[in-house]
Amino acid sequence: MGNPLPVPFAKELPSVWRADELARPVGAVVATGHAVLDAQLPAGGWPIGSMVEVLQAHSGQGEWRLLLPGLVRTADGPLVLVGAPHVPFGPGLVGQGLSPQRLLCINTAAPATRLWATEQALRCKEVVAVLAWLPQVRADQLRRLQIAAAEHAKLLFVMRPAQAQSEPSPAVLRLLLSLQAGSDALMLHILKRRGPPLEQPLVLPARAARLSALLTLSRERGVGLGQTDKRLVSTADFTATSKADSAAASTVIPIHVLKRQDHALDRIAAAA
Amino acid sequence: MHWIALQLQPEALADTLPDGLPGALADPLTALGWWALQFTPKVARAGLDQAQDLLVLEVLASERLFGGRQQLLQQMFEINKPVVPVKYARGATSLIAIARLKSLQSLPASQPNDLSLATLAAAHPHLPTLARIGCTHWGHLRALPRGGVVRRFGADLLDALDCAYGLKPELYPWLVLPEVFEAQLELLAQVETAPALMFGARRLLNQLQAWLQMRQCGVLALELGWTMDARRNTATTGELVVRTAQPTLDMAHLQRLLSENLARITLPAPVLSLHLRTLETGKLGNQSLSLLPDAQRPGDSLHHLLERLSARLGPENVLHCEAHADHRPEHMQVWQPISFTSKLVANYLYLTGTSGLNDAQIRKKKSAKPSKPTESAGDALYPTWLLARPLKLAVHHNTPVYQGPLTLLAGPQRLEAGWWSATTALRDYFLAHSEQMGLLWIYRERLTAAPKPQAKSSGQSEAGSGPDWYLHGLFG
Repeated sequence: MGNPLPVPFAKELPSVWRADELARPVGAVVATGHAVLDAQLPAGGWPIGSMVEVLQAHSGQGEWRLLLPGLVRTADGPLVLVGAPHVPFGPGLVGQGLSPQRLLCINTAAPATRLWATEQALRCKEVVAVLAWLPQVRADQLRRLQIAAAEHAKLLFVMRPAQAQSEPSPAVLRLLLSLQAGSDALMLHILKRRGPPLEQPLVLPARAARLSALLTLSRERGVGLGQTDKRLVSTADFTATSKADSAAASTVIPIHVLKRQDHALDRIAAAA
Repeated sequence: MHWIALQLQPEALADTLPDGLPGALADPLTALGWWALQFTPKVARAGLDQAQDLLVLEVLASERLFGGRQQLLQQMFEINKPVVPVKYARGATSLIAIARLKSLQSLPASQPNDLSLATLAAAHPHLPTLARIGCTHWGHLRALPRGGVVRRFGADLLDALDCAYGLKPELYPWLVLPEVFEAQLELLAQVETAPALMFGARRLLNQLQAWLQMRQCGVLALELGWTMDARRNTATTGELVVRTAQPTLDMAHLQRLLSENLARITLPAPVLSLHLRTLETGKLGNQSLSLLPDAQRPGDSLHHLLERLSARLGPENVLHCEAHADHRPEHMQVWQPISFTSKLVANYLYLTGTSGLNDAQIRKKKSAKPSKPTESAGDALYPTWLLARPLKLAVHHNTPVYQGPLTLLAGPQRLEAGWWSATTALRDYFLAHSEQMGLLWIYRERLTAAPKPQAKSSGQSEAGSGPDWYLHGLFG
């Protein structure tokens, strides 16, 4: 029987990991763009070269909100979407800082082909991140993708249905996305991470600044159908109001929006 | 004059070779000839019999270019190794070189007089007679009176002997590197399925690689053709054209493209022979390498990935985005098959290092490339997902329903565009919230031409009066 290490001493040893703290960084990470989430992840970001599993009830519900701020921060290079549930909308992505020209969409329905395409994309040296929607996938197939991601040091996000949370998975990070009841915020359960389990879900209020300002505004004014038709507020008007409303919103509204009046869809209206 | 004779080692026909050399070639001797052309333009086929299974090279004129005979030999057999394993011998004339190669006396010291007559092609028909008169070596034959030799054996033998001793010039039909690669391969057995053709195609591709290396270019388009059994009363030939975006020397990539394409072909009749032809070639871009070791990322290059995906999934399933100036959301972007002029490829292909750009150009490109998107069409108020076609929503109590009733949060955003085309858009866009799906982007058709029959299932919607609601995007 040896003497147990005194606790303060164990703390100083770099190779000793204590079960109540997050794992030490094993590889490079990319900041997720959500400060709340960064604080709960080892090394504070998406792990490069490991698979991240995102589980959600309906695909297309929260992937971009969760991943886009992190993807914007990645090194410049193509992002591959395998089997995306809908068409990514370029103008909306540009609005949040991601150039749609970086996207490469691979549409295929067959599960085996999706896996093949995902693995091929991971093996390409220019590709920075791969987002794969794999509703039907086995743990051994995921393991293979995980190895490919590790070998080629790629960001790999696998989107799976929420039912898969009871299945085993080789992912180093598993997240369950859901919508907060009664609001627009995104709830994030960390099912698995390199660290102690997290009981409380994280709440990500991740909407682009202009959009959240608009939503706040509409909530305050209590918009309902019927009143909306008559009361149109021009963009300039809306921005001015929101400036007055909250300092936080006003600081992030880009000024060029005010100048550009030519675009039909720019005439954002909110009920006064 | 200084000649080198080359002969293939028997293992040259094996499929796998040591030393990282390519495997079996469709025609190894021709490939070897192409390889030899880089050292001297005087390369010819020769041999002791009709088979012509040797190559002879005249290298005296090239010695100075390569810095001496020893340097040339080192270059040929150590640095820039032949495409297949060979053995070689040297001599002052081609016949001496061949004789030394055949008699395995590759020592340069062995005198021509001591070479066996069996190694002289012209003496072959007369070998028994010569043996009976005691002539077994070149020296013996040379000692005989010339007039008598001509009368008994014909002038050919004496001419050959003169050539062998360097008294007469040696003339050969010199080998020329063809402008277009074309090689044929007779298959050993009939091949019934298209994927099995890859075995033969691999040999042809190895041959192609030898040709491309000599021409210092890469292939852009090639055609694999096959001849089928005519007794089946079907087409007797078939072909497959494979194109690449950049000139490539990478046979593994071409092999993958060919096998992806062959996997989709059904052969009407067994195949008897294959041929491979280049349709288009391009110069390989020269790149200067850095003195310091570069941070090499392992993996395939982007254009290989795109070509492979397009080959298996079809080009219509590998898409990139192109922005268009339009107000209708469905026309703001076009997702179209990847083309190699697209920005996606143009932006990132330089990373592969095969695009033929030099360092300065790459650096310029890197610095010029905007790190932030500069398109002005973007807006954070747009959704991130767009439905491929708008989904018509049921209406309940004048409220659109999508997995539960929707709450309208903001709007309307009026859109009137596309009057010049068939798809006129007269819409009011709203942001709506659904308990199940979160934030949605829906629109209401304005001025619908004819009142459409409403869904009667709800029973409470006013028939024919309510506008149509559509789901068009998700704020996912």
